[in-house]
Amino acid sequence: MMNVDTDLKSKIKDYIIESTLDDVEKINDNTLIFEEGILDSMGLLFLIEFLKDEFNIETNDEELVVENFQSINSILNFVEQKI
Amino acid sequence: MKTPNKPFSKDILHIENIEIVCNDIIKKLKTDVAKKLQRRGAVIGISGGIDSSVCLALSAKAFGPNKVTAIMLPEQDSSDDSRILAEKLAAKFDVTDTLVEDITQALNGFGCYQRRDEAIARVITDFNPTVDKAKIEIKQEAASNLPPAFSVTVIKPNGEVISKLLPVREYLQIVASTNFKQRSRMSMLYYHAERLHYAVIGTPNKHEVEQGFFVKHGDGAADVMPIGHLYKTQVYQIAKHLGVPQEIIDRTPTTDTYTAEQTQEDFFYQMPFKQMDLMWYGWENNYSAEEVSKVMNKTKEEIESIYKNFERKKKTTEYLRMRPIF
Repeated sequence: MMNVDTDLKSKIKDYIIESTLDDVEKINDNTLIFEEGILDSMGLLFLIEFLKDEFNIETNDEELVVENFQSINSILNFVEQKI
Repeated sequence: MKTPNKPFSKDILHIENIEIVCNDIIKKLKTDVAKKLQRRGAVIGISGGIDSSVCLALSAKAFGPNKVTAIMLPEQDSSDDSRILAEKLAAKFDVTDTLVEDITQALNGFGCYQRRDEAIARVITDFNPTVDKAKIEIKQEAASNLPPAFSVTVIKPNGEVISKLLPVREYLQIVASTNFKQRSRMSMLYYHAERLHYAVIGTPNKHEVEQGFFVKHGDGAADVMPIGHLYKTQVYQIAKHLGVPQEIIDRTPTTDTYTAEQTQEDFFYQMPFKQMDLMWYGWENNYSAEEVSKVMNKTKEEIESIYKNFERKKKTTEYLRMRPIF
């Protein structure tokens, strides 16, 4: 389970770093990625697309809440619930 | 950080000396067009909405009605009301050089409708553009701490409503397609402005400019924007003062862009104008969330979230206001 978690988390983190061209050191697992301006509204839409392409996860209106997307750890929790 | 020097109140945006304020805008408009831009009159696209109506009234007063050309630019999705109101408006301010330029064929040439409808049909597979109506809208609250995401809503002839969150590719294709509308209008306005050696008067208000509710090189392209510094409630106050027809003042602001009726609130702002004006003023003038929350009957936390939303909107739309980088 630990390895699956780590694998999922690194995929999410790699995606965010790759898509934002940000420094790895700037983002940790609890960084508030929207509040700190790392991702913006288009970044959220591309993230939703990534979750669909990578994990086959569909996100609906009701799931678009800060608790599911505010940090790498929250995205990981959301992904784990949906898989 | 500058601290505000007067207490926050619901009347804080009310213009006290409306006559003086209007005269100053008119004087500046005249100087900007005649002296800075060295043009001899004004071309303005009128839609029957409050912003273009106020701009037309100001232009007629600044240059005289005979030096203003008012152009209606409908297309197949425009509401008929828009044209009727625009005609009334021009008559009210004695602007007789009015033209109707239907841009539907130009938009067909660009593939505007086809590209938009293809994208909608990829999300809602039984969408039939010949009979169904469609629009895009934001469904989340403005106080949400996440950036907004758009949904597409299709309304069937029997009233059935189907709504789905828009995937990013389809969202971008719909927006890029419909932006042909504003950019085609801009091309037509500049055709007439160049033909007459006039300036193009842009109609965005302060919210549209600062929150990025305009199309880059579309309605965001103009020579002068006389109400670009005014809050929406101030635009209404000036409309009343100048005598803009009451039907236009009473009309709910729409985007007039999609086939289904769509208010600007649904599409972009996520809150009523009166509230937005006050909270935006509070935010940009450094009023504390606590002080604003008491006046607005909201919690401090709600105001803090709304402030963050404003900050995010301004930042993420910076690209639209930027000049080319070189």
